[in-house]
Amino acid sequence: MPPDKIQLIGASRDFEARGRRVQALQPIDLSIQPAEFVALVGPSGCGKSTILNMVAGLLGPTSGTVAYDGLPVTGLNQRVGYMTQKDTLLPWRDVEANIRIALELQCRPTSRADAAAKVREMIELVGLKGFEHHYPGELSGGMRKRAALARTLIYEPETLLMDEPFAALDAQLRLVMLDQLQFLTRSRQMTVLFVTHDLGEAITLADRVVVMSARPGRIRAIRKVPIERPLDVFTARFSSVFAKLHEELWDELKDEVTKGTDL
Amino acid sequence: MRPDLALTAGTPDSIADRSRRFFTGTTGRILARIVILAALFGAWQTLPGPGMRFWASDPVSIVAALAGWIIDGTLWRQLLATLTVMSTSYVLGCAIGVGLGLAFGLLPRLDKILSPFIFAAYALPKIALAPLLIILFGIGIASKIVLVTVVVFFLVFSSTIDGVHDTDPDLVRSLRLMGATRSELIRKVLIPSALPWIFTSMRIAVRYAFTNTLLAELIASNSGIGYLIAYHSGIYDAAGTYAAVLILVILSVALTEVLTRVEKAMSRWRA
Repeated sequence: MPPDKIQLIGASRDFEARGRRVQALQPIDLSIQPAEFVALVGPSGCGKSTILNMVAGLLGPTSGTVAYDGLPVTGLNQRVGYMTQKDTLLPWRDVEANIRIALELQCRPTSRADAAAKVREMIELVGLKGFEHHYPGELSGGMRKRAALARTLIYEPETLLMDEPFAALDAQLRLVMLDQLQFLTRSRQMTVLFVTHDLGEAITLADRVVVMSARPGRIRAIRKVPIERPLDVFTARFSSVFAKLHEELWDELKDEVTKGTDL
Repeated sequence: MRPDLALTAGTPDSIADRSRRFFTGTTGRILARIVILAALFGAWQTLPGPGMRFWASDPVSIVAALAGWIIDGTLWRQLLATLTVMSTSYVLGCAIGVGLGLAFGLLPRLDKILSPFIFAAYALPKIALAPLLIILFGIGIASKIVLVTVVVFFLVFSSTIDGVHDTDPDLVRSLRLMGATRSELIRKVLIPSALPWIFTSMRIAVRYAFTNTLLAELIASNSGIGYLIAYHSGIYDAAGTYAAVLILVILSVALTEVLTRVEKAMSRWRA
């Protein structure tokens, strides 16, 4: 058995707000294998984003350990590509220059021609052809998300952290993007930790779905997705296995969602 | 029938309509302005009595004074003096302001130690230094260049610091996660993010440079448009005073026009 790519061991996190300590995440244990695709679902404020921030090294755990490749994450974890909920496109760069930025850094020496070719390929992939020279301020929310996705995928980080990357997309486009994401992450053997509100999205993409409880967050259930990959994202949701799992996960999730709304 | 059609359709083209359209069109508007200006100048030329004229002057004398300056070269000499002070100080102030502003913005320790001094100097109305600078540098252009440079410097300097500090920490974090070094962060995030602040302050600084150059020239000097105004009012020459003010009006309109165009050309991504 390969060593764990990401490991949370009794990792918890508190936040201080107006002098009051709030536990966002109870101590949790979670292991993710290399090239595994794990989806986190749960009500708002259950600490899903906190988990991603801890794996990225933006936050340290209040107690316990977060390990990457067997070593505790101390500083920023530059092995991961992180697509945050808020897109962090640079407003003064057009789409093309934004997508290119990771390839401009010293740590990834890339010739101009190679970078240009890769950027073209990514733009095509996320369906932003014709918008290469638009600035983020001139794009819709969905287009900005796609640009942010392209910017993260272009440098092929070995691990991808995604925080509701498709929340702003319409249903059809979301399916197209799910299909592309599935193809890319599987073909490049990426490890993915994917936060979403959408159970269907989680089942479609993930090898395992982690259901979290309302604040303070903890893991309520983990289910393997018994569907063979790659699957057809456009029809998968009509299969009986999919429906059964959806129902099962929804049973776990629904009490939590109603609890979450009281907050 | 749609209501908006009902409003316009079927009404004959009345004379009132046509005249309204004429006065809202470009030609009509310009014509109206000429008429207003002519009426104003006409009244100014004819209404004041001889006693009043001494203080109020009249358009013909003002134009004559202006023409005299154009012919004997006074206009160009004084205009050049004002523009030299203004532009030299502007360039110096902006360059030092951006340079030191970036240094302070990017080196928080430096900023923390020196910020009380900077703040005290920033709060002081710089024109109050004019008499001191005249003692130090004389009434020539040197004292004015120093004063206006200081004014421009503080404006650009403090905006540059603010601009660097205003950088969205999420942008910095996302670039660091991609593996950017400190110098890459500065070049690719911090400086571009501060640029709108820097440009805004540089735009405002043009006006400050202009105003403070004139103030300095009015206080004590031997050249410049401000000097022309001060000198001619000092000898009770109303026509000369008005003529110098008129030069100022033309100069500031031209300045605003140039600024607007430069800005339009530069600020596409902020649209």
